[in-house]
Amino acid sequence: MELETLFVIGMFLTFGALLMTGYPVAWVLGGTAVIWTVVGVVAVENFGANLWFDYSSSMGLVPERIWKVVSSETLVALPMFIFMGIMLDQSGVAEKLMNSMVKLFGAVRGGYAVTVIVIGVLLAATTGIIGASVVLLGMLSLPVMMENKYDKGFAVGTACATGTLGILIPPSIMLVLMADRLAVPEASVGDLFMGAFFPGLMLGAMYVAYAIIRPMLQPHIAPVPEGTEKVTWAIVWEVAKAVVPTAALILGVLGSIFAGIATPTEASGVGALGALLLALMSGRLNLKVLNSSMQQTTRTAAFIFAIFLGATAFSVVLRGLGGDQVIEDALLGLPFGPYGVVLTILFGVFLLGFFLDWVEITLIILPLVAPVVQSLGFDLVWFTILFAMCLQTSFLTPPVGFALFYIKGVAPPEIKVTDIYRGVVPFIIIQLAALAIVFLVPEIATWLPGVAYD
Amino acid sequence: MTVSEKGSSPGGRASASDAGQFIHHHTEFPTTWLSQVVDGVISAIGKCASWLWIVVTGVIIYAVVGRYAFGQGSVTLEEVQWHLAGAGWLLGLGYTLVTDDHVRVDVLHERLSLRGQAWIELLGLVFLLLPFLGLAVYEMIPYAFSSWQQGETSQAPAGLPYRWILKGILALSFVLLILAALSRLLKVTALLFGFPKPIRIESEDNKKEDAS
Repeated sequence: MELETLFVIGMFLTFGALLMTGYPVAWVLGGTAVIWTVVGVVAVENFGANLWFDYSSSMGLVPERIWKVVSSETLVALPMFIFMGIMLDQSGVAEKLMNSMVKLFGAVRGGYAVTVIVIGVLLAATTGIIGASVVLLGMLSLPVMMENKYDKGFAVGTACATGTLGILIPPSIMLVLMADRLAVPEASVGDLFMGAFFPGLMLGAMYVAYAIIRPMLQPHIAPVPEGTEKVTWAIVWEVAKAVVPTAALILGVLGSIFAGIATPTEASGVGALGALLLALMSGRLNLKVLNSSMQQTTRTAAFIFAIFLGATAFSVVLRGLGGDQVIEDALLGLPFGPYGVVLTILFGVFLLGFFLDWVEITLIILPLVAPVVQSLGFDLVWFTILFAMCLQTSFLTPPVGFALFYIKGVAPPEIKVTDIYRGVVPFIIIQLAALAIVFLVPEIATWLPGVAYD
Repeated sequence: MTVSEKGSSPGGRASASDAGQFIHHHTEFPTTWLSQVVDGVISAIGKCASWLWIVVTGVIIYAVVGRYAFGQGSVTLEEVQWHLAGAGWLLGLGYTLVTDDHVRVDVLHERLSLRGQAWIELLGLVFLLLPFLGLAVYEMIPYAFSSWQQGETSQAPAGLPYRWILKGILALSFVLLILAALSRLLKVTALLFGFPKPIRIESEDNKKEDAS
């Protein structure tokens, strides 16, 4: 095996092993970069290793690369969307939606599950961080569903799976980050938002279909609650009051990007203002809440950008050691043809999603594989959406999907781990079906970005 | 357990901001007087920088209105946006280290005793974080300095002058990170070796964990 290959494998193994100690991901990345810089320099200088590696073209590039992150106009959208999400959350919209929609759908069999899915899709904007959305939906919906004697697996599976949709459905901060790393004009933030729009809605619709059809076949898993109020216009009005402002805000943000009226950064700023106004109108906004929301924005943005810093160092050192070439050769050397290469990458991403959060995978893996996929002639929007859906599926898959841990943390004690595993299996099947559909019918992802703008 | 106060929402049951406590398992180390001072300063800087999000929102709105009402896009305002947003998260990096909000892979970590976690923290600080930050600062300070010396400005017409300010903040943010890391190191050694003198005993949760 060539030295480059050994070093690249060594670097990934170091990273993986150190990660398991539980030391923060950002610093493990940065530290691994420093360790392998030392290894590389020593190997070349002291052992005359046949390796094209030097300090100035690896670690020495870090300031410039980090400056590029700092001076990115597009990345301003990242903290702004986080801020918008937190403000929207502070306006108490989730709770209002739950309380009012339960009355609307309560009398329908499986109605609570449908409610959870609709809220999850609608509030995907507030919860780009996977843990937050799963926890929010779990806390909001599990007690109600348990009270109404829903099957434990069905209830917890629905909340858990819906929670993972937040990272996919635009405006998703994951897509902002992905566009930044792809750094090609044909896969801008706007393109990815548009690309994810229909796959996201399709998944939502498939979830809803499941939540309606399964209880029809097995009535005992979702009993119709007794003595529900009749649906009156007052209830419809109440739901409308909760849904319309939020939906208008999110559709306004997305619509202005899709129509090419606003850049994602502009839309994120307007969205933040809109969410601020919604919070103000709900009467919950005071100086203390505003202050803590802004501080929370800082901490969330800082932890993502910290991983950016570590991943920047990791990537330049990996590239310095010849990592890009090694990965490209390995992928192109696969004996499966172009579609096989894409499937292999997606399967790899699915496995990585068990151990790594989307931030690291997006920052390190996506820029490594995207040029290869593009050179094979595939549409990058299509590929990136598949990549995103794969990650989302991965977070849902037992035994180690992130979403499962988060939901366990907030589930009532009578819900066992086995209930969670049992509950998410149908959703994983739905996910795989959706992945297959988007894989086979790329237009679902590529049509909207294709017709927009021009 | 600190449930984030929901202020004026009486029926407040669930919100994403409560999620933090279920996602991040904060390790509470005893602090030391020096760490307390350093943490206080860095947190204050981070909290002040948090106000920038409102300012950035305002600048974006101003730019959007300017573009639609008066039909002129402004490169200057665009640059102001990323200058402010950049400063916001850069100055927040150290603050986030103080609040221990940098994400970890928790699978094994949360099962360790407090001392076990402290050892990982010690080794991580000494062999991963501090070398990385040291090297970064070693690179960043000359980077910012040369920008100042050359009087670097934006390459775009109507762009902002004084690039060195934000590059200086970039270097400063790494210095703040080092200070935050050293402060954390003191807390860890205070727990492990009793030096410097710890001034707060660990919280109830961690005691239990430690005993198990």
